[in-house]
Amino acid sequence: MIALMRYLAADVFRGQRFLAPLLVFLGVMGMLFSSDAGQPLEAYSGSAALLYPVTAWLAVVVATSEDAVRREITVVSAGGWPRVLTAAALVAVSASLVLALLAAVWPVVTNPHPYTAGEFFVGLGAHTVCALLGSGVGLMFSRPVFDSIGRTVLAVFAVVVLTYPLGRATPLGWVLDALGHNRISLSVLWAGVFGVALVSAAVAVGVRRT
Amino acid sequence: MHTRPSGSVTPGARNLSGASIEIARTMPNQMHPKASGSCVIGGYLGVVLLDQVSKRYGRGPWVLRDLTLEVSGLTVLTGANGTGKSTLLKIAAGVLKPTTGRVVRPASVGYVPERFPSDVRMSASSYLAHLGRVRRAEGVDVLERLGFVGSLTAPMSELSKGNAQKVALAQAFLASDLLVLDEPWTGLDPAAAAELVSLLEGRTALVSDHEGHLDSATRVDLSGGHVTIELSRVVGLDALEALEGVRSVSSRGSSVRVVVAPDRSDYVLAEALRLGCSVRSVR
Repeated sequence: MIALMRYLAADVFRGQRFLAPLLVFLGVMGMLFSSDAGQPLEAYSGSAALLYPVTAWLAVVVATSEDAVRREITVVSAGGWPRVLTAAALVAVSASLVLALLAAVWPVVTNPHPYTAGEFFVGLGAHTVCALLGSGVGLMFSRPVFDSIGRTVLAVFAVVVLTYPLGRATPLGWVLDALGHNRISLSVLWAGVFGVALVSAAVAVGVRRT
Repeated sequence: MHTRPSGSVTPGARNLSGASIEIARTMPNQMHPKASGSCVIGGYLGVVLLDQVSKRYGRGPWVLRDLTLEVSGLTVLTGANGTGKSTLLKIAAGVLKPTTGRVVRPASVGYVPERFPSDVRMSASSYLAHLGRVRRAEGVDVLERLGFVGSLTAPMSELSKGNAQKVALAQAFLASDLLVLDEPWTGLDPAAAAELVSLLEGRTALVSDHEGHLDSATRVDLSGGHVTIELSRVVGLDALEALEGVRSVSSRGSSVRVVVAPDRSDYVLAEALRLGCSVRSVR
């Protein structure tokens, strides 16, 4: 599985399509924290809200990096679709977790308000949850669930855009609400469980579709 | 369906590895004798078995129907375009699941698709090294034997079609048990094509071949001929599709066209009449 993940990660790296979501992430993070972003947890809410669409985009990039024909060769080499789709999901989640860590560390360095260790870890947890949710959404609508990249983009865009107005009715809303009110909530943990379930479900649906 | 009845192997064909092949049509729910019992099949290493395999994409026409195929040694699939060769190879390799039926294949399978993509940014050496690690297999000198002359470190998108095909073949030869090759000679020069024939000797492989490179291998023709029956539309299409031997059913205005395996045409005609259809033509 490690060799398979390394291959898929190397392919994503060579493809360079990951640069677009990465640059959007870095650019918006720079704008968010160019001046005083407020109290520690409150400041995290902006970057957590940003991480959700960026990691969904990144997951689509990872899932569709290989074209359909080369993916067939990989599937045969690896011994089946379940292994390849699991490896792709792990690569997407790993890349998203790197961004989550970066987003948690960024304001600690740039924000004028001091951060306690507790606040940092709450922020890291919240960003991890948002990264999982974004990855899950991206994987759920990518190949092999949707064969066409056009449908994938439309579906992911629609789900991401619809998530925000639904507010606290969604797991993302639970996280953003907790951060926005500067408090720690158990609902963040449940949102994390939901994120893991979403990623797992995306793999399962993909395997079923093949 | 696209198979001929039992015993359809080309007369006089000699298998390079001396292994066996059998292809047969079977009645629904009836196991082929060699497919019964455990997965130890025929006593051959690297055998692939397709047992009463059928395939359709979505709700489209059947591409394969009730195909039973047991292969070891070097076997060539032939047949006209659209007879299901690539679909059969994908099922044998494990890329596609059959709609019905079961497949037994060895652990280490190498696969070359009909068209290797031309826009790969990874270099040939990286690609082969990564897939070697995925397979936990040592690389072999297939590239050298096929006469690869491009850069191993340049992106594969910069390789010629023939050299990219050699890379595709090299990754497949990392597999130890079974090779599934879809038109593997595409883009190869005559010397490389001859070398590929030599590389395949003694291997267990299922190969589609329009050009007759493997004259001495066992051949399976997926065309097998067919009979087209035009019926007036009295019963639902599902009832006709369910009949043994029916390859495809399509509706055309008030009539229905049924394509049937030659050996089942009498049975399908009789069943269609029993179901209340009237026959417009048989050809």
